[in-house]
Amino acid sequence: MSDAPLLDVRGLTVTYRAAGLGKARSVTAVNDVSFAIQRGETLALVGESGSGKSTTARAVLRLVGVDAGSISYDGIDLLALRGEALRRHRRRMQVVFQDPYTSLNPRHTIASIVGEGLIVHGIARGDEVAARVAMLLGEVGLSADTAARYPRELSGGQRQRVAIARALAVDPEFLVLDEAVSALDVTTQAHILALIQRLRDARHLTCLFIAHNLAVVQQVATTVAVMYAGRIVEVAPSATLFDAPRHPYTKALLDAVPASDPRDRRDRGVHGSGPPVAHPDALPPSL
Amino acid sequence: MTPILSVEQLRVIFERRSGAHVAVDRISFAMNPGEVVALVGESGSGKTATALAIMGLLPDGGHIGPGSAVRLDGQDLLAMPERKLRDLRGRRIAMVFQEPAAALNPVMRVGDQVAEVAIVHHTDDRRGARQRAMAMLERVGLPNAAALYDAYPHELSGGMRQRVMLAAALLLEPALVIADEPTSALDVTVQAQVLRLLLELQRESGTGVLLITHDLGVVAETCERAMVMQAGRIVESASVDDLFHAPKHEYTRELLEAMPRLRKRA
Repeated sequence: MSDAPLLDVRGLTVTYRAAGLGKARSVTAVNDVSFAIQRGETLALVGESGSGKSTTARAVLRLVGVDAGSISYDGIDLLALRGEALRRHRRRMQVVFQDPYTSLNPRHTIASIVGEGLIVHGIARGDEVAARVAMLLGEVGLSADTAARYPRELSGGQRQRVAIARALAVDPEFLVLDEAVSALDVTTQAHILALIQRLRDARHLTCLFIAHNLAVVQQVATTVAVMYAGRIVEVAPSATLFDAPRHPYTKALLDAVPASDPRDRRDRGVHGSGPPVAHPDALPPSL
Repeated sequence: MTPILSVEQLRVIFERRSGAHVAVDRISFAMNPGEVVALVGESGSGKTATALAIMGLLPDGGHIGPGSAVRLDGQDLLAMPERKLRDLRGRRIAMVFQEPAAALNPVMRVGDQVAEVAIVHHTDDRRGARQRAMAMLERVGLPNAAALYDAYPHELSGGMRQRVMLAAALLLEPALVIADEPTSALDVTVQAQVLRLLLELQRESGTGVLLITHDLGVVAETCERAMVMQAGRIVESASVDDLFHAPKHEYTRELLEAMPRLRKRA
């Protein structure tokens, strides 16, 4: 075991450009973001909409172009990978998206959705594919006869189990979970969260967990990075961050979480329609 | 005390190609004036169908079963002609939806959309309606209401749009507001602000609020009483304190168990 992180992101900057007449408008969605994830660790990237957390995940997955910075994975310069080398790398790093309704091809059977990666990466062929698919479905808590069905025949929770099985099919070591439980009903969410934790531990997965729900994050993350307006404003071990948040935005986020017990209800300090704190650029450099 | 809203044996059926689907299965409940009550459930539990049935806004294919009654101020809404219902909607009963972007007219200035409520109900002339709407936009905490009056919905953030929705819903101080997942599409810091605003307005105007939500945290934060819905039925109705600390129904316990809880620092 080396001490070098499995994923090392430095100075990551992603700018979206909207083509238009005259001056092109651009938005820097991710602005000089740095973080590292050790093997076996789960780093949660939390923030509100527009904070840049999903764009960061997409950059790490090489799904969006990067304007500046470096992403190193197991010592490999991810941004330099092209063609066949990038394709081979994708086996090591898989993703589960928020919406299982749109991330699964509606015309494919579950067997074909889960088995595709096995074939593409030459992991299995012929009858072996079906056997592996059945095993994977079992691993995520679905019965073997799910294989012959189509996504529309499944519930939201079942679909998300399929998305997890598909991600695990190629036996990755790194899993990106982009709001993977956010669209689910609360009872389903609890089951899928438990499944993710169980699989992570059994398979020794390293995870990048993107979420906006702090209570969910507290349950799964070893480290938490808080994003605001394209920047990471605070990174800390999970326990430290929730017990002793340092950044005012982290505090505002924690304070805004509704009470989980009516007896804890209190008059809130947050009021007004502006953002809860000034832009982080305006905060003292010590933060 | 006469209940402001009384729902008796409400049954809502949706006709689908696969046959009739009972979305709401003979539920009964009542709300007192000024009360804040939650209707909690997961997707498909029938909570939104209940709201739309009360408002008389069920979509095509949905209808209310025989033997149902919905009384507002003692008047049966289900037996009322549409013309009379339209007079009550906005004036005595109003609704706030989850997606203000979808509920607001994209080509109409937001201030005019708030003023329209007063114009439709002939409570004010155009000038008076404009002034009333302007004052209401200020009351819901929109900065620089005068400038925002002329903005279009797309120029506002999600939280500001929901404030506009609240302004329109509460403009004529209705007896009851049905808020269907009013903060579910909002970021958590904005959610906290909008919930607080909703309660402030509710207290000031004495409006009753039926808050429809899947989020037990929102219930704990805002309501005095809650009803838990599952598969079209109300399985438990209790004060929030009893519901959280002495749940009677197994499904309520399951919901509470599944609720992600933030362990907060002391």
